[in-house]
Amino acid sequence: MIQFYLTALQMALCLAPMAMGIFITMKVFNIPDITTDGSYTLGAAITAIMLTGGLPVSLALPACMLSGALAGTCTGIIHTKLKIDALLSGILVMTALYSINLIILGRSNIPLINTASIFIKSDWLGSELNGQLLTALTFVGIILTLLIYLLRTDFGIAMRASGNNPVMTKALGVNNDSIRITGLAVSNSLTGLSGFLVAQYQGFTDINMGIGIVITGLGSVLVADAIKQWFNVKKIGRQIMLVVIGCTVFQAVLAFTLSIGIDPNLLKLITATFVLLIVALPRLTAFTKHK
Amino acid sequence: MLIINHISKIYNAGSDDEVRALQDVSVEVKKGEFLVVVGTNGSGKSTLLNLILGTILPTAGSVSIDGKTISHLPEHRRSPWVSMVFQNPANGTAPDLSIVENFRLAALRTGKKGLGIGNNKKFRQLVKEKVAALGMGLENKIDQSIGSLSGGQRQALTLLMGVMDKTSVLLMDEPTAALDPKSAKVVMELAEQINREMGITIILITHSMKDALQYGDRLIMFDAGKIVKDLNKDAKQSLTITELLEWFT
Repeated sequence: MIQFYLTALQMALCLAPMAMGIFITMKVFNIPDITTDGSYTLGAAITAIMLTGGLPVSLALPACMLSGALAGTCTGIIHTKLKIDALLSGILVMTALYSINLIILGRSNIPLINTASIFIKSDWLGSELNGQLLTALTFVGIILTLLIYLLRTDFGIAMRASGNNPVMTKALGVNNDSIRITGLAVSNSLTGLSGFLVAQYQGFTDINMGIGIVITGLGSVLVADAIKQWFNVKKIGRQIMLVVIGCTVFQAVLAFTLSIGIDPNLLKLITATFVLLIVALPRLTAFTKHK
Repeated sequence: MLIINHISKIYNAGSDDEVRALQDVSVEVKKGEFLVVVGTNGSGKSTLLNLILGTILPTAGSVSIDGKTISHLPEHRRSPWVSMVFQNPANGTAPDLSIVENFRLAALRTGKKGLGIGNNKKFRQLVKEKVAALGMGLENKIDQSIGSLSGGQRQALTLLMGVMDKTSVLLMDEPTAALDPKSAKVVMELAEQINREMGITIILITHSMKDALQYGDRLIMFDAGKIVKDLNKDAKQSLTITELLEWFT
């Protein structure tokens, strides 16, 4: 049983970079970006093709992040330079990426067996899972530290202000367009990283693995948002930490629903319902209060 | 020195709903001058400010500051010369960011927003000192989100933010319109102090006739896209509020 939830925790840690990426676009920049579904699979596809080709993990990692960043840049350029709605820009790039991912993979599924892996395979920490958890935890720790630092820098303040009040930042010499493109690039490179981690953790890359993954990220950010409201968390660094916690809570809820014997085919329905609940609950309670 | 050279702004040129917001306007504003601009709604005064700030581009003519023509530059590249205080205090601040973070960004208006931590001890001390001078007791609240402050407090802070970094011209578009009389007085006196002590040119648009008379050392009036009155300091001082109101009839 504990093993079951540890597996959920492991998945949460693998998806946490993506959730932090969604936090950047959704909460910092106020952009609804759903390039995610495509850039996540892109990261996983590149991982699969490079690792089965015998290339080292140390090359696959930057390749995944860079390609994710490139996808985000495309969305950003379509959104800012062509003045197309952010949601539509994301959908366009996501759709295009489906074909690109298929071209990269060459077929719809590539198993990763006996290939190099970022996860420690030995069981010197007691079990194989412990080693995997440690690896994922290290990754999340590094990303978290870097992001907290980034958001506290002058550039980070400009990023946050640009999402909060673009009229002001324009007058303060900030190029809102390029800073948004940068934000989308950072966010999607993190999504690519999640694709990289998940592909190796689950041992395969599938062309459909990204479908609806953006909801997982959104759900994590929304859970984090709810916790933020309850405890009145102001500091931006702590808010990002909450996203990792939100991601874990989200996966735990999914694991719980599976453990009580719900048909795995209903998983996406349950995910969507859970996200709806998180969004709707505060509004419903506000409604009853006004009554 | 700010030179507005034969500037025109025409919307929907050639069509039935053509609007001539500004028609061949020329004006020179000396360095350190405090220019007050009045006029009815739609007379062209806000258009002029927006042309200087760069939110709109002129149909004809040019704007230059300190010998540099800026009228073709996008807004975000004019920051070395122009700083703006908006009518709505909410426009000039990022509400979810703290006071000190807002000031940090303002201090970098003309500079690079780099990957260093500029919001350090030294900077926080500087902000505390600047804010303390307002006498609003905000110096101990610099980590509070700026959106939690009152409109008057925010507008006073916006004004300070406007001169955190070097600027030649400070534009103010009805900065006190949304404020109570007491806060309005604080903001206007702060503007006067900035103009006097830092030698920064100020262009103030106002609908308050009292402010138009009390502050500034030159007064111009816009009507139908043209400058129709231009009074120097002496002429302005002898002007009465009744005479000023007659301009509008």
